[in-house]
Amino acid sequence: MKASKAYLFLGLTSLLFVACAEDKNIPPKARKVSSTILQNSTVSQELEQLSAYGFFKGELSKLEPETNVYPYDINTPLFSNYALKERFVYLPDATKMRFEENGPMRFEDGSILIKNFRYEHLEEDDQTNASKLVETRLLLNREGKWIPLNYIWNEEQTDAYLNYTGSVVPIKYRHTDGKLKTFEYVVPNNNQCKNCHSIDNEISPVGMTAAQLNKEYSFISAQINQLNYFKTEERLIGMNNLDEVVVMPIWNEVSSGNIENRAHAYLDANCAHCHSKRGSAKNSGLYLEYQQTDQRARGVYKPPVAAGKGSGDFQYGIVPGKAEESIFTYRMASVDPAIRMPELGRSVVHQEGLELIKAYINQMQSSN
Amino acid sequence: MKKLVLGLVAIALVILVVSSLSSKLPSYEPDRDYLDLEEALVKEFIFAKDSSVIELPEGHFLFSQSLSLDNKKHLTIRGKGMDKTVLSFKGQKSGAEGIKITNSQHITLEDFTIEDAAGDNLKVSETDTLIIRRIRSAWTGEVSEENGAYALYPVLSTNVLIEQSEVIGSSDAGIYVGQSDKVIIRNNKAFFNVAGVESENSTNVEIYENEVFNNTSGLLIFNLPGLTMSGGHVKAHNNLVYDNNLSNFAVKGSIVSAVPKGTGVIVMATKDVTLFDNEIKDHKTSNMSIVSYELFALEQEDAELSDDAEDRGLRGIDADFKNDLDYNPYSGRVYAYQNRFENRFFVPTFSNDFGLLWAFKNGFKIPDIAYDGIIAEDGKLQDKAHLICLKNNEGASFAYLDASNDFEGFTTDDKMFECEGE
Repeated sequence: MKASKAYLFLGLTSLLFVACAEDKNIPPKARKVSSTILQNSTVSQELEQLSAYGFFKGELSKLEPETNVYPYDINTPLFSNYALKERFVYLPDATKMRFEENGPMRFEDGSILIKNFRYEHLEEDDQTNASKLVETRLLLNREGKWIPLNYIWNEEQTDAYLNYTGSVVPIKYRHTDGKLKTFEYVVPNNNQCKNCHSIDNEISPVGMTAAQLNKEYSFISAQINQLNYFKTEERLIGMNNLDEVVVMPIWNEVSSGNIENRAHAYLDANCAHCHSKRGSAKNSGLYLEYQQTDQRARGVYKPPVAAGKGSGDFQYGIVPGKAEESIFTYRMASVDPAIRMPELGRSVVHQEGLELIKAYINQMQSSN
Repeated sequence: MKKLVLGLVAIALVILVVSSLSSKLPSYEPDRDYLDLEEALVKEFIFAKDSSVIELPEGHFLFSQSLSLDNKKHLTIRGKGMDKTVLSFKGQKSGAEGIKITNSQHITLEDFTIEDAAGDNLKVSETDTLIIRRIRSAWTGEVSEENGAYALYPVLSTNVLIEQSEVIGSSDAGIYVGQSDKVIIRNNKAFFNVAGVESENSTNVEIYENEVFNNTSGLLIFNLPGLTMSGGHVKAHNNLVYDNNLSNFAVKGSIVSAVPKGTGVIVMATKDVTLFDNEIKDHKTSNMSIVSYELFALEQEDAELSDDAEDRGLRGIDADFKNDLDYNPYSGRVYAYQNRFENRFFVPTFSNDFGLLWAFKNGFKIPDIAYDGIIAEDGKLQDKAHLICLKNNEGASFAYLDASNDFEGFTTDDKMFECEGE
């Protein structure tokens, strides 16, 4: 008798657990249905395979650039789930980039920006090198307009295939703490590209600014500044004196700037593509371009406008001296799609970036 | 025998406790049988051509990502009816919105349901000529702060019509129009939201024949500082606003988290507002309030911040509108006439300062119309900038709070505010 009561009790408590475990964030099951119930079907005119562009020679996944394809790097990149990003620009014969002091360089018709997302790590045995390209994103300049296209690499790593609808790819990588971790990498759908790549509602490159390019890059030559390199190669016109070009600090290189400047650089690269007066988050009143000097626009004691649950019971973007009471760190530390910032392209927390922003907020004076 | 009585009492107590717990927040639980047509439907959205119609089939479709549209012209998205076509974003992995439309012209959405997005169910930004018609936008299950913020959210848009739609379960506002111009919100139903309908920093807004009930607060006409535009010229008439007494389940920090439950209509810091022929009843805090942004800034005091931060924060809010030279934190030229008021509650809620104020200053009576009386330092009550006109409001009781003078001039006499104005 007693025993059966105990079982009943156990049964009831386990029921309780089941009830509690049901989370709003766990998607329910859905049955696949055929797309024939839709009326329209559409066919893309774009190249189906990355290899068809001829950007690279030899084994495609080694990304050995052909003529007219130039590798480049930027000072402080957008964090993308700890992926290694390999960037190239394709400039058709005799075309040039035009220097812009602020904002991205200007490009001629036919230019293409190429960004590859790769994971490299040692397997559990600490011997085997693993490398996996996930996606290659292109921005194609056609008569002044930019077209975003996305290619997803196959399992064999022999080619990447045009994708419009996005995808979820399981990823294994070695985290900065040395541990092997896995997560679901979300490849954005084509319309989502514009969420970040938008200036005044037009699709635009983001990272190709003078301040971001102003650095040496070993892939080209350890001693030559990239801007100078493009200039001497006669691929960049309009730049007068390199010494007058602003340098974006490198977010994680202490010698490149003080903590405030590096945090501003980080926020510029990770937030300002939307959070600027010309970006898609202009309605928020939060503006985080590197040049922004208005502390309120930078979030200091700024209440949220339409953050919804993104505010996380906190009242201000930044409370100086109190990272733990600031919405910035709350949203950076979340992976919930409704809370996290950036909204897209981040499925894991950027621990080191978060630490930088915490330190930046904590060193701010909370004086009167 | 004694045991039996005790037992019965215990059961009664349990029922009481359980029912009071469960009646606290309502639920919306439709039957769903999800189908996966994600890839094909996402493609439809991406390749949508100008001047075309996306026909959504009948069924309950589940998505792991947002559906977005950008830079489209003359596009219609049409379902088979809000009970037949359901787009659910429950557990989505990518994007915060359900449907997101940006930078477009002449967009019509009609006859379907949008459910359970992580953030906003429908967000439309920088779009001219938008029609949202017979759309149900809801969060399922018990209402909770885990629900997304806005059910229908046009922002920075012009020529917006929202009609015959339903909004359910938003943890912020159901129908929320922000920083937009020329907006009509009519014949909609809003329930189980924190705010039923909210017009924020929008101009030339007309809100009529809506049924707004069972929210924390019914209809908000707000104007906040520091945004791209200032709100004003809002008309609300022939609305039925009742029983908005739901506990506030908004995340703190949002402006609506400071809205007291049991409020029917609130006009805050907005100029040129006309409210007429509305039926507003059964609210535990007040049927209609006309207030300044300063009052809200004060209301937010109880946030869980350290003292220092709170100090600075209040000054922050202060600076927020004092630095915004174009911003005027006071309501003015608010005309309320021919509204019908009723209240089945005799005692106010004590969950907020207003309820307590009514207890101390108003003999526990809940006023139908409350005006905080906070005006600019160089202004005078009832001067042109701060005019409040009340007339022919059936059965309306009144309270003038004199909130800037510690409620010293508190009065229920509305003679001073009887005017035509217009």
